Amino acid sequence: MPVIPQPVTHLVAALAKLPGIGPRSAERIALYLVQAESGSVRQLADTILDARDRVRLCEICGALTEQSPCAICSDARRDASLVCLVERPVDILSIEKSGTFHGKYHVLGGKISPLDGVEPEDLNIAGLERRLKQEPIKEVVIALGTDVEGDATGFYLAKRLARDGLKITRIAHGIPAGSGLEYADEVTLSRALEGRREMAP
Amino acid sequence: MAAESTQRLRRTMHLAYLRLRDFRNYGRLDADFEPGFHLLLGDNAQGKTNILEAIYLIATLRSFRGVGGAPMIRHGQKGYFVGAKIVSQGEHEVKMYWSAQERSLSLDGRPVQKLTDYLGVLRTVVFCTEDLQLVKGPARARRRFMDLLLSQTHSTYLPLLQRYTQALRARNALLRQPIVDPVALEGFSRELVRAGDEIIRLRRELVPRFSPLAQEAHHRISAGAEALRLEYQPSVKSDFTTELAQSAARERSYRSTVIGPHRDDLQLLLADRAAAQFGSEGQKRTLAIALKMAQADYVTGIHSAPPVLLIDDIMGELDAKRRAGFLPLLERAHQARGQVFMTATEANWPEDLAQESLGWRVERGTLVKQAGSSG
Repeated sequence: MPVIPQPVTHLVAALAKLPGIGPRSAERIALYLVQAESGSVRQLADTILDARDRVRLCEICGALTEQSPCAICSDARRDASLVCLVERPVDILSIEKSGTFHGKYHVLGGKISPLDGVEPEDLNIAGLERRLKQEPIKEVVIALGTDVEGDATGFYLAKRLARDGLKITRIAHGIPAGSGLEYADEVTLSRALEGRREMAP
Repeated sequence: MAAESTQRLRRTMHLAYLRLRDFRNYGRLDADFEPGFHLLLGDNAQGKTNILEAIYLIATLRSFRGVGGAPMIRHGQKGYFVGAKIVSQGEHEVKMYWSAQERSLSLDGRPVQKLTDYLGVLRTVVFCTEDLQLVKGPARARRRFMDLLLSQTHSTYLPLLQRYTQALRARNALLRQPIVDPVALEGFSRELVRAGDEIIRLRRELVPRFSPLAQEAHHRISAGAEALRLEYQPSVKSDFTTELAQSAARERSYRSTVIGPHRDDLQLLLADRAAAQFGSEGQKRTLAIALKMAQADYVTGIHSAPPVLLIDDIMGELDAKRRAGFLPLLERAHQARGQVFMTATEANWPEDLAQESLGWRVERGTLVKQAGSSG
């Protein structure tokens, strides 16, 4: 004897597939939705469909965009010789917020992680290699996470992308701004030392 | 002035209360504990060890019985809850809930985001029959012991170990693929070596610091019968990168990483012979307890505060002479105003300790303070 009507169970199952939503939250949202005013639910459904229909990946860099090529790729004021390599489209937003990067981007779509079955060929590396041939790119800045997969992927890319006239750099990582050395672990400290820079006198 | 500085350095740590809901055979337990020596008395299978298990769980988020969460849930219930207050420099409140669907851990009312922020709130050293594995068991048991010592005394060791393990697992997954991409493999090798070198360095530094304590404890408890020597045996002999490259052929046939800190051992030698092979049962047992006593001393030395000692029914395993060697540890814990929880059955409870202890009776999942025990 089911206490909860079947459509609700189906809705809970569908919601629970969303990232960051566990079974409890899925249940709460589903129960809210089936009791909410029907117009507002329809509006939510339309908004979801509309967003999905209008947002796509930029054919050049892989960023989320309404129009392809995206605003950054088609912006002539951006430095076309500089490309920043990121893992996910959302990483572009983080870097843009800092307001210090004026080049273009390339979204890899993941990182090499053998445990999840992600191999180099599953990443958008071929697209970047095409861009290296077609665009006047002089420097690729690798801006991946500093976990094991991020670092291993960075190393892989540095080797694979290496070619004459192209500089490959990696964003610095080390001691967070505003914190003391005593809180840094060995790996972080050894990275920070490796990436040390000469100070202007 | 000397007295004043000792005074300031003397720190303590104790479990002030424990709450259990549907944990093992406890439907509901609320108990307040003072610093000092707590003797949990009761017949077998009444739930004495379960209390030690819960305290150890708060400290390490693991069971010392080596089981996952499910067996700790009370029969027929959905999940267990363990709550505690720990008093050291400050006061900390811990709440954890575990069920098959849901688990949560909070410290002082806030969810714990990073394990490293949490571990160290409560430090414990457990003495139990499983300790014998330290001597008799595979190298894994001794690696875990070194890891435990280092993570209890070195705040950055755990993330380092996690990073190494991540690199190792990724690398092994690559080696299992039909065609191994050499550049991708090299990327993970670098990560493996980077974290691995640090682990080797820290383990290498640990052993000479820990050895004298183990020797002293062993001397005390075995009345100086045989000389104990601890020897770190790293899998990497001199250069990790070179040796990893040299092992390539073996890696391909085993389809996994065959050298590195995950293959280290800690050799235990009694009179220069491997204890696991040549020691008697009694010698092995004595050695295991000595290692744990040394762990307690080591952790005390680093933090200037004794860890909470959890002693599960081991007095029965010791003869009168060895028991006498064990008592100074409890004595010292007592003097430092530390806290000790010790289980015993009526038949083997240590009467020599009775006067100083706070007695509890454990019966079918209840814990009752015994009348007449001093507080």
